[in-house]
Amino acid sequence: MKTVFEINEKIRNNNAVVVTAEEMISIVDELGAEKAALEVDVVTTGTFGAMCSSGAFLNFGHSDPPIKMYRTLINGVEAYSGVAAVDAYMGATQVNSDDDIDIAYGGAHVLEDLVAGKEVELVAEGYTTDCYPRKKVATTITIDDLNQAILINPRNCYQSYNGATNSTEEKLYTYMGALLPEYGNLNYSGAGQLNPMQNDYNRETKTYNTLGMGTRIFLGGAEGYIIGAGTQHSPNNAFGTMMVKGNLKEMNIKYLRGATIPKYGCTLFMGIGVPIPVLNAEIAKACAIKDEDIQIPVLDYGVPRRSRPTVGTINYNEARTGKVKLEVEVSGKKVEKTIKTASVSSYKVSREISKELQDWILNGEFMLTERLEPLEKYAPKPMKAKMKLVKDILSRPAVVGTIKMSITEASRILIENNINHLPIVDEKEMLSGIITSWDIAKAMAQDIGSISEIMTKSVLCATPDETIDMAARKMSRNNISGLPIVDSNNMVVGVVSAEDISKLIGRTGLNKI
Amino acid sequence: MKKRVFYWISGNNVREPVVSLVVLETGAMVNILKAKMEPREGFLILEVTGSELQVDSAITILKKYGEAEDIPKIIQKDDNLCIDCGSCVVHCPVGALSVDSDYKILLDEDECIGCKNCAKVCPVNAIKVFEI
Repeated sequence: MKTVFEINEKIRNNNAVVVTAEEMISIVDELGAEKAALEVDVVTTGTFGAMCSSGAFLNFGHSDPPIKMYRTLINGVEAYSGVAAVDAYMGATQVNSDDDIDIAYGGAHVLEDLVAGKEVELVAEGYTTDCYPRKKVATTITIDDLNQAILINPRNCYQSYNGATNSTEEKLYTYMGALLPEYGNLNYSGAGQLNPMQNDYNRETKTYNTLGMGTRIFLGGAEGYIIGAGTQHSPNNAFGTMMVKGNLKEMNIKYLRGATIPKYGCTLFMGIGVPIPVLNAEIAKACAIKDEDIQIPVLDYGVPRRSRPTVGTINYNEARTGKVKLEVEVSGKKVEKTIKTASVSSYKVSREISKELQDWILNGEFMLTERLEPLEKYAPKPMKAKMKLVKDILSRPAVVGTIKMSITEASRILIENNINHLPIVDEKEMLSGIITSWDIAKAMAQDIGSISEIMTKSVLCATPDETIDMAARKMSRNNISGLPIVDSNNMVVGVVSAEDISKLIGRTGLNKI
Repeated sequence: MKKRVFYWISGNNVREPVVSLVVLETGAMVNILKAKMEPREGFLILEVTGSELQVDSAITILKKYGEAEDIPKIIQKDDNLCIDCGSCVVHCPVGALSVDSDYKILLDEDECIGCKNCAKVCPVNAIKVFEI
């Protein structure tokens, strides 16, 4: 048994043994956990990946005359200034207010520019009071002009994360990157065996051995601290997160980078390293965790629901080879598929962080702290929000037409039912096309006589179990006004039109959907 | 070896099967990366693969019917900007991007066909593809 105090003494005396989490694996393999705990004093970890839940409190100092900022923009990106007169919180994922720049520049990029020492434009509006008479301020500043620039990230350093793949026929753009159709790729994130929280996790008690509030860490190239459990912290299933704090003024853009995930938004790539004091054999053993021991559940992001179906499970070792084999379902049949894997975080930089932290400690520049409190034990809950499914607004029975029908018959059905969309079914009653009242108007104008000539053959449809939000997004993305709803046998069970959805919103109010 | 050229077919030769001719006579492999044919002129971007002799003779034949010009570098990866995440690798259709044993992302400029898939997914704009 060692203490943090004793380890710090060793660091001061230049005789501490500090190894990276990668190096610790072979040490424990060779010596066993007991001996390794005697040999090694500190294990350094590292991770570098997209951590959306990040941001910084900025204090601008008082202007003359003073202003109470209520709308604050830095390089066109809004920072939340509903705090005090000249404080604001710049969130990493806040996107630019300029439509032309769009999501390509956001809060994360402002933070990177500040760290890089670049000049940024500050524009703030205030409402005037007797003590704050100024209405507007527009100026150019650098990070040196700020009194404080304090990075406070509510949720960083996920212990585990799931992999993302896509079963649909469309390319999807998600926070896990671009996902190619039909299981074209599998994106994963995280440093695996170098991950700080994985290396400190006690798998039996589901708690963290050494880290907690007050643990001094490597944060964005500077010293920082863990200030508690992160939001959505979920230690029971090894999905821990932590909240961290550090001085943005001391950070380095090598370890803090603004990024744009295509067609999703911006995020901050953060570099975090945690030193783990090897106080006993149990801690030594946890630090020897290997990539192959860490599971990555692979989820199908083709299902845009809170609980996405799990396609399979792989481990970090498999993920890093560049391809994995998974049994997936393709048109109702189970098939084994080789899927290319792509990392969306950097193992290379994670390694550099664990080495840099190792150097800091070996050089006596970084002392370990004992935590004040362990991380709180939370179990995240889902949002309490009602959900409406397509089947909740379907009127039955479905009104359909057949290919053999005449245009006049079809138009009569539309008028009698006061509808604009008529799914066309074949002799087996399966969906084969759709016509709209507009198609009929066109047929009249062009003197066309058959349904098959005017119907749209490749029909975009939805299922009864999809949410209304998904159906609405499908219509708006494809610029169509109605979706036939089909069951698993491609039989039409109804139609949902843009009008149905607008009626629903109009009747019940948006907040009740 | 592999060589990429801009190729302009001059007026009278637009109806000549120049690409087929090159393949048949030299045995080189020709990939048409872009083609725009008009009644009196044609513009192509060609990728010729083969031995040095094959590629040289291919270019000689091409020049008989029009003008060929070497394509300068079409892609550039800025290693200072790149964060070595690897998001780009699976989006390259020809394997020009890869991960080395130190998890560094490598780009083989010669393999690139300029499709821009990598540039579109790069979260930090580290890859530039020049218009060709």
